[in-house]
Amino acid sequence: MNVLSEDQRQQITDIVVGILEIDPAELTDESLFKEDHDADSLRAIEILAALEREFKVEINQAELARMVNLQGIYQVIAEYTGNRA
Amino acid sequence: MSAGLAGDGAARGARRVVITGIGPVSSIGIGAERFARGLAEARSGVRPITAFDTAGFAHTNGCEVADFDPAARLARLDPDSVGRAAQFAAAAAGLALRDAGVDPARLAQVPGLISVGTTDGESQDLDRLTELCVRGGLDELPPRLVRRVPSSWLSASVAHEFGLRDVEAVTLPTACAAGNYAIGYAYDVLSLGEAEYALCGGADAMCRKTFAGFYRLGTIAPTACAPFDVDRRGILTGEGSGMLFIEPYESAVRRGAHIYAEILGYGLSCDARHPVAPDRSSIVECMRRAHRNSAVRPEQIDLISAHGTGTKANDLTEAAAVREVFADAAPPTVSIKSMIGHSMGAASALSAIACAVAVDRGFIPPTINHVSTDPECGLDCVPNTARRADLRIVQNNAFAFGGNNAIVLFGRCDERTPAREVAAA
Repeated sequence: MNVLSEDQRQQITDIVVGILEIDPAELTDESLFKEDHDADSLRAIEILAALEREFKVEINQAELARMVNLQGIYQVIAEYTGNRA
Repeated sequence: MSAGLAGDGAARGARRVVITGIGPVSSIGIGAERFARGLAEARSGVRPITAFDTAGFAHTNGCEVADFDPAARLARLDPDSVGRAAQFAAAAAGLALRDAGVDPARLAQVPGLISVGTTDGESQDLDRLTELCVRGGLDELPPRLVRRVPSSWLSASVAHEFGLRDVEAVTLPTACAAGNYAIGYAYDVLSLGEAEYALCGGADAMCRKTFAGFYRLGTIAPTACAPFDVDRRGILTGEGSGMLFIEPYESAVRRGAHIYAEILGYGLSCDARHPVAPDRSSIVECMRRAHRNSAVRPEQIDLISAHGTGTKANDLTEAAAVREVFADAAPPTVSIKSMIGHSMGAASALSAIACAVAVDRGFIPPTINHVSTDPECGLDCVPNTARRADLRIVQNNAFAFGGNNAIVLFGRCDERTPAREVAAA
C-alpha cells in the first residue's frame, strides 16, 4: 500500500480542522469526527469533496463509512492515490 | 404555528374551502387535461438536462418542462422581465383561472391572496450572474437580470399578469414542502374570511446550483427515479409550477363551479434537527397535526401522495412514519416524483393537483420505474399502472431540508355529504 508523506498527512489534517472548525490540538489520529467532534453527515461529505479536490481523486461515497477519523482517511487516500499511479 | 390558524376540526364559523381550478405546468404535461392524462397513463418526464452545461457530471437526466413558451402563455407580463420560475407561476395561475371559469377582471374587485412556495426562487438567474461575475466582475452583471432575482416576483408576477391589486402576494421559501405551506396558508386565510379567493401553489425552475448540491450529496439517480424500490438510487431534479384556484364552498356553489375537492386542513412541523436528514418522529407529529386539524382519523384516509423522493433516507423514514401513524393499515402510498421528478417548491403543489385529480376522476396515479418494493418500506405504492379507486379523503405529504414538514388533507366534496361530515361521522 502507498504510504502517505508527512506533507500529505498535514494537508489532510488542515482540511479536517478547517471543515470541523476545531482546534488542531483536539484532533488526534484516532478521535472520531462524529462522536468526538460533533460532525454530521454533511460535514463528512464536505471533507470528502475537499479531499477529492486536494488530491485530484474521485472517492466513492461508500468510503465515508471508513472515513470516520484521520486514520481512516489516511488509509483511503493512500489507496486512492496509490491506485491512481 | 403548528396547524391551521382556523383551528382544529373546522372551528365554528370557519368557512369551508374548495378547489375549483387547477393549473399544472409539468414535464408530463401543461394544463389540467394533459397533466391528468399523464398521471393516468404513467408517463415519464425524464430527458437529458439542457438548462445548464452538465459537463463533468456522470449522471445528467432531469425532468424539464420542454415545451414551455412564455410569450404564448403570458398576456400582460413581459416574459423577459421575470425569471423562469415566475413565468411558470404566472402561467400556472392563468391555467387555474381558466380551469375555474373565472374572469380575472372580476377577481380584481374582491380581496384575494396569492401564495407561492419555492425552493430556489430564480436560482438559474443567480447561476448565470455568478458565472458572469466570476468571469468579468460585478460590472458585467446586466441590470435586467439582477432585477429578476428577488423571489418575491414569484407571487408578484401573478398579480401583475392578472391586474390583481387588492391581494396579499406572498412567496414562501420553505423549500421542498413550500407548495403545501402555501396551500395551507391560503386555506387559513379563506376559512377565516380574510379573502374571497386564493391562487396558491409553488414554482421552481431547473438550476445548476440545486442539481450540483444534490449530486454532491450522492442523491442524484443515474437514470430514473424509483421511489420505494429496493434498488432506488435517488432523485431526478425537475421543474414546473402547480397553482390552484381555491374559494369558499358557498362561492363555488353560487357560481355553479366544478369542485375538484375540499381542503380539509393541514399540519406543519419544523424540527430543525439536521440540515438534510428527515426526522421520523417529527413527520409522525406533522401527520397527526394534519389529521387533527382536518378532523380525520387515519383509517378514513384512502390514499397518500407521498413526498417519495426516491432517496434511501427519505423513503425509509417516510414509510416508517406512515406505518407508525396508520398501524398495519396504511393506504396506497404513491410518488408522482417517479413521473415528474422532484420539482422542488412546485413538488407538493403539483402533488396537491394530482390529489385533486385523483379524487375527482377516481383513480390513483402510479409510482413508475418500479421493479421490487423495498421490504423495509413495505407499502403499496401502486406500481407502474394507475388504479381505479373511489377516493374520499387523501393526504399530501411534503418534507423539506431543515426539517420543514407540511401535510395537507383533501376530501371529496359531495353536495349532500360535505367531506367534513363524512370525516366526523
